[in-house]
Amino acid sequence: MSSLDRWNPLTPLAASLLLVVIAYIGPQPWSAVAALAIALALAASRGAGRRALALVLAVAIPAWLIVFVMDGVVAPAGPRALAMPAAAEAALGIAARLAAAIAALGWVVLGVPPRRLTRALAARGLPAWGAYVIVASLEAVPQAKRRAEDVLDAQRCRGLVVGGGVLARVRALLPLAGPLVVGLVTESEERALALEARAFRPWRARTALVPVSDPPGERWMRRAIWLALVGVLAWRLLPWQRVLG
Amino acid sequence: MRPLALALIPRAVAINLALGAIVAALKLPVYLDSVGTILVGALAGPVAGIVTGIASNVILGLLSSPMFFAFIPVAMVIGAVAGVAGTLGAYRSIPGAAAAGLLTGVLAGGTSVPIVIALFGGATASGTGIVTVVLRAMHVSPAMATIAASVGVDIIDKTLCSILVAIVLTRLPNRLSTRFGQTRAVARATT
Repeated sequence: MSSLDRWNPLTPLAASLLLVVIAYIGPQPWSAVAALAIALALAASRGAGRRALALVLAVAIPAWLIVFVMDGVVAPAGPRALAMPAAAEAALGIAARLAAAIAALGWVVLGVPPRRLTRALAARGLPAWGAYVIVASLEAVPQAKRRAEDVLDAQRCRGLVVGGGVLARVRALLPLAGPLVVGLVTESEERALALEARAFRPWRARTALVPVSDPPGERWMRRAIWLALVGVLAWRLLPWQRVLG
Repeated sequence: MRPLALALIPRAVAINLALGAIVAALKLPVYLDSVGTILVGALAGPVAGIVTGIASNVILGLLSSPMFFAFIPVAMVIGAVAGVAGTLGAYRSIPGAAAAGLLTGVLAGGTSVPIVIALFGGATASGTGIVTVVLRAMHVSPAMATIAASVGVDIIDKTLCSILVAIVLTRLPNRLSTRFGQTRAVARATT
């Protein structure tokens, strides 16, 4: 059992939202850098540091590059020699905030199994239909991806050419996407019958077979996190200085 | 929400994600990641379309990158517009579907602009972002470049998605399509 598995999933989720808010509305660039460091440290403590870092770099580096190229190289505001350092700095700020947000949310995404998160949300009032949509989607996606590959292989065997010009490739789209989409829609009828047979009530809260624990200490911790989040938002967004002045 | 619409939503989310494999194999310069959302909107109405949009981006956020959470409002707009267009019977013909796709593209692109500017500095690292850079190189102002790229790319993508949905609706068994709430949306397409 990892350190994160001992927590109710809603507690790390609340903490990650607080980090995202701090990264975006706190004093820059230090808030973003601090939020990024905390999120990566939390991910590392869970054994997901490398994956979190990979997730962050996959978003932050292209984000920095495209803004830098756009504002510093392709369309600089003024002489390029002056615009490039300013664009690099501005792009770094954007990339740092994005990196912090991705790391904060990624820590939860990588650390909490989606089904456990759904169970915790259901225990806090998520209706049965919401939990069904999330869990059934997670199950349906890998099956659909396998089916897409099967359709692709089957149509290639029948002689479908997937290369050529753009128009030829657009024409090849229907024989590939059609069977996949029609097959999945038709399958939903069977699933609906199964739901009806089980007397599924979309708005009724489900009883969990394995309940997610939520000790009073954690509930108080979450309340403190929500309070801190509201406090940070109020500090930055309300015109305190004007009121006090 | 009817059980059939509820059962369709996870399959539609899977369609949104699985079509990526086909688009990659065909090397098409579009995303086609909203076919499932538009399909649910057309068959089951705006509420089901919105739920599908939210679910798609939540699942993408969980499975791929948390970046997709930021675009949940865009997916909601796509589902809502498709649902309203479906109620009006837009997907009964190819021109109607193309018009619905155009409107969906304009509204989805327009919704993504403030997100792209606020979070990504005006351009994402994607095909749309490259279009933005090209427009900036042509001395288009930053805001106009982001708007033109987002709306332009979304118009092409959502129009293609909507036409694909209209064609798929003609291939669905009549018995199945009439069981959804939007019978009027598919009545002519399936006969």
